[in-house]
Amino acid sequence: MARLIVMGGGVSGHTTATFAKKWLGKEHEVVVVTPNSKWNWIPSNIWVGVGQMTKEDVVFPLAPIYKKAGIDYRQAKAVSIHPEGKDGDDTPYITIEYTGQGKEGQTEELTYDYLVNATGPKLNFDATPGLGNGEGQMGEHTVSVCTADHAVHANEELQKIFDKAKKGERQKILVGTGHGMCTCQGAAFEYIFNIEHEAKNAGIRDMLDIKWISNESFMGDFGMGGLHMKVGGYVVSSKLFAESLFAERDVPWIIGAHVNKVEEGKVHYELLDGTMGTEEFDFAMLIPPFSGVGIKAYAKDGSDMTDKLFAPNGFMKVDADYTAKPYEEWKASDWPRTYQNPDYKNIFAAGIAFAPPHLISKPMKSVNGTPINPTPPRTGMPAGIIGKAVAYTICDMIKDPNAKPHEASMAEMGAACVASAGKGLTTGTAAAMTVYPVVPDFEKYPGTGRDTDYTFGEIGLAGHWIKHILHHMFIWKAKLRPGWTLIPE
Amino acid sequence: MKPEEKNFEQEQFTLTMIPGAFARKLRTCIIFQLFRFAVINIKMLVVVSKSH
Repeated sequence: MARLIVMGGGVSGHTTATFAKKWLGKEHEVVVVTPNSKWNWIPSNIWVGVGQMTKEDVVFPLAPIYKKAGIDYRQAKAVSIHPEGKDGDDTPYITIEYTGQGKEGQTEELTYDYLVNATGPKLNFDATPGLGNGEGQMGEHTVSVCTADHAVHANEELQKIFDKAKKGERQKILVGTGHGMCTCQGAAFEYIFNIEHEAKNAGIRDMLDIKWISNESFMGDFGMGGLHMKVGGYVVSSKLFAESLFAERDVPWIIGAHVNKVEEGKVHYELLDGTMGTEEFDFAMLIPPFSGVGIKAYAKDGSDMTDKLFAPNGFMKVDADYTAKPYEEWKASDWPRTYQNPDYKNIFAAGIAFAPPHLISKPMKSVNGTPINPTPPRTGMPAGIIGKAVAYTICDMIKDPNAKPHEASMAEMGAACVASAGKGLTTGTAAAMTVYPVVPDFEKYPGTGRDTDYTFGEIGLAGHWIKHILHHMFIWKAKLRPGWTLIPE
Repeated sequence: MKPEEKNFEQEQFTLTMIPGAFARKLRTCIIFQLFRFAVINIKMLVVVSKSH
């Protein structure tokens, strides 16, 4: 019997674990180690953040699902990886620290035959003074929609702002990224337009000054260096597409901004041209930068080899080309294909947990030398596809250790993205977009780096319907309900 | 002044495009959006199938 341990139970980890267990059956063991007791459909958190969904609509308990699937579930955080075992025993293992199941604080060693790191990101609020509380958690000056609990809190604060606006007090709302190296602009993009939509519905839009602040060097960069898509028969840049929506909704923007300090009611930022500025707010939702979750790695002799397994940003090294080179020399082939660690072939990283070889967007620095550019997004669809490919590979390797790994390069896969711009069965809108491939390949597609036959976008009610249907479809799939394997990642 | 023209008064918005009344109406026109729903789904399924 082989044992597969999946660290993390988000989109990628859950996909890996559930498919692996389905394919391996009772003959082999699948263990999921995640500090969370509940699974969260994160794309719908923005609707929780404006009071259009409750926390219960976007989460469900993991324990009964894993029990039904026959997966050994440990509500614990992974602390360290020991890929060479320890003195007197070559069996690789990880150490975990329980966060639930009545064993809070207890530690345990779990041996493995195969290990998947799908821990997702650490929300690195403390990277920006004032954005965090100094203890790794969100600070008191701003809100976030990164977790369901954050979104509940965001809505509570937003409703206070709406109440003040209803009483005739003009309010300033600021939404965007809280650091120069953030990713996930999409969530902030969705949140700002959902606030704007709800303000209109509440009849208080004219009492709100809503502003966007982002580390993107141009609107519509999205951490992917922007994209060109088919819209109304034209090939249009995402810059025009995004600016159009912001102009239509009367939302001005600050871009190329590194938020370097947050205080009560005020952010301080540095722009690419080196100028410093401040922006006041009554309500701010700023996405934090991401980093790896901080798992350590140790050699057999107990020496620290974290830097062998992990990149400096804490994400795990896989089969990517990490050679430092200028932007002009970046290639699609730099991106990983199998997500297998080059030193330990039984270790994989899936979803956000793998270390990208470099940015996708063109690297930018302010004239003061501060890096200000979005880091690469790894949205749900690529994370799910990668998780499934890793599950395939491990199942094959359990049967035949020399089996060829399955491949899922982000430079060869597309992504469908639906960004809500307001919720409502007949009044909602969303930007429905596809991008193919996620990582541009300028050798294959010399014009825009992507195939414009498969990269398109449009805004409308249909997109909203699709986002709402996807919400139910993916929760159905994650709950392993009948037909779950037929729903694509 | 039409709503879409008002925003061009702001310097930041002058170089973009802002949809007019007809384009905005189409975005929430149920019949048109039912048709777009089918089209977008087909396009997304093609991209999904190319990505697996």
